[in-house]
Amino acid sequence: MNRILSFSKRNFLEMIRDPLSYIFCLGFPLIMLIVMTLVNDTIPKETGMTIFRIDNLSGGIAVFGMTFLMMFTCLSVVKDRAGAFLIRLYATPMKSGDFISGYIFPMFILSILQSTITFFASYVISIITAVEINVLGMFLAVISLIPTTIIFISLGLLFGTLFSEKAAPGLCSIIISLGSFLGGIWFDVKGAGGILEKICTVLPFYHSVESARAAINLNSDFLIHLLVTIGYAFVITAFSVIVFKNKMRADLN
Amino acid sequence: MNAIETRSLTKNYKSKTAVDKIDLTIKEGELFALLGVNGAGKTTTVRMLTGLSLPTSGECKVCGNDCVSERGEIKKIVGISPQDTAVAENLTVYENLSFMCGIYGHSKEKTEQKTAEMIRLFKMDEVKNSRAKTLSGGWKRKLSIAMALISEPKVLFLDEPTLGLDVLARRELWSIVERLKGGTTIVLTTHYMEEAERLADRIAIMLNGKIAASGTLSELEKLSGKTGLEESFVEIAERFGKDNVR
Repeated sequence: MNRILSFSKRNFLEMIRDPLSYIFCLGFPLIMLIVMTLVNDTIPKETGMTIFRIDNLSGGIAVFGMTFLMMFTCLSVVKDRAGAFLIRLYATPMKSGDFISGYIFPMFILSILQSTITFFASYVISIITAVEINVLGMFLAVISLIPTTIIFISLGLLFGTLFSEKAAPGLCSIIISLGSFLGGIWFDVKGAGGILEKICTVLPFYHSVESARAAINLNSDFLIHLLVTIGYAFVITAFSVIVFKNKMRADLN
Repeated sequence: MNAIETRSLTKNYKSKTAVDKIDLTIKEGELFALLGVNGAGKTTTVRMLTGLSLPTSGECKVCGNDCVSERGEIKKIVGISPQDTAVAENLTVYENLSFMCGIYGHSKEKTEQKTAEMIRLFKMDEVKNSRAKTLSGGWKRKLSIAMALISEPKVLFLDEPTLGLDVLARRELWSIVERLKGGTTIVLTTHYMEEAERLADRIAIMLNGKIAASGTLSELEKLSGKTGLEESFVEIAERFGKDNVR
C-alpha cells in the first residue's frame, strides 16, 4: 500500500505542477462551457434545439474534460517509459499492480475534482441564464460518470503502454475528437439517426454523455446508460491491465 | 563473502550476443569497475545483475540470491543509478528522495532521517526545495545516485555516472563515490579510464560482450606490460582483437 500511495502522490504532484494540465483539463472545458452557452443564446427558440442549453451541455462538457485526463495519463506513462525513470522503479520491489494503481488512483481523484468544478460552473451559468438545473442531479451525474472516468484513464494507460512518445499523443487527440463527436456532445444523436446513431450507441462515449444528462434531470434512464459504461469500464480496464503487465514482463525479459 | 558471482553469464538479443559467457567475482565492500567502450555489454550486465533483464544462459548471484529464481529478493537489496538521469522532473529534490523511501516502505521517521542524511552527504541543502527539472546535469546526477543509495542497498550500481558531465561536476561526483567506498559494494560502469583508475579497487575490461581482462590496476599493467590504465586498456584491446580474429 505504501508503494501505491508513494507512486500515486508522485503522479499527482507531477500532474498538478504541469501548467498544461490546467489549460487542457480545466480551462478548455470551462471555455467550451461558456462558448457553447453563448452559442445557445443565438439559437432561435422556435427551432426547439436544446443541445447547448446548460442542463444538457454540462454533462457533455464533463465527459469532454475527462478525455483530456486520458491524454495526461497516457503522457505520464509514455514519459516514464521513454526516460530511465521506469527502469529505476523496475529495479525496486514495485509490482505491476503498484504501477497500475499508482497511475489510475491520482487521475481518478483529479477527474472527480474536474467534474465537480465543471458542474459548479454549470450551476453558476444556469443562474445567469435563468435555466433551471437540479443540484441533486449534478451530484448524481458526478457519480454516474465514475465508470466513464475509469474508461478514459484506462485508455490512457493502454495507449501509454503500447505506443511511443510521438505516436501516443496523436492517437489520444483522435480519441478526444471522436469521443466528443460520437458521444453526441455537439449534436443530437437521436435527431441525426441512421448509421451515425448506430455507431454512436455502440460506443461508450454516447452512453457516458447520456448517463450524465439523464442523471442531471433525475431521469431514471441514466441507470441503463450507466450499466453500459460500467461494462465498458470493466472490459477496457481489464484489457489495459493485461497489456501493461505483459509489457512490463517483456521489458524485464 | 562475495557480493556478486557470475558463471558463463550470457545475454542474447535475437542474433546478437550482448554479453558472452562472462565470469565475475566481486567481493563485499569492493568498488568494481566495468570498463569498456560503448556497446561493450556493460549496461546489459548491470541489467541482469539488478533483475532488470533475464540471462539467456549462465548463472549470476547477488549476495547469494539467484538472478532468475530470486529476482524479487535482489530488487530489495540493490540500488541503481541508471545511465540516463532517472528523476521525477516536477518533484523537488526532497520529494524525490522521500518518494524513494516510500517505494521501499520506510516509516515516516526513517524517511525524514534518510532524506536528511542524503541531503547532507551529497551537499544538496541549497537545492533541496528546487524541482529536479531546474537542476543542472551535475545536480541531477547527484540526486539520481542519492535516490539509489537511500534504500541502503547492499550493492549499488552506478551506470556511467559521470557521462556528459563537465570536469568540475565529474570531480565532485568522484569525491562523493570515494566517500561511499568501503561501506556498500559498488559496481561502476564507465568508459572513462581516469574514472576507473581513480575510483576502482578492481577493474574488468569488457570488449564485445566478453571480459578481456580483470584485476587491480597493477595487475592489468603487469598483464599488458604497459604503464597506466589507458595504455594497458589499448594493449589488452589490441591483443583481444587479434585473438578473436584468429
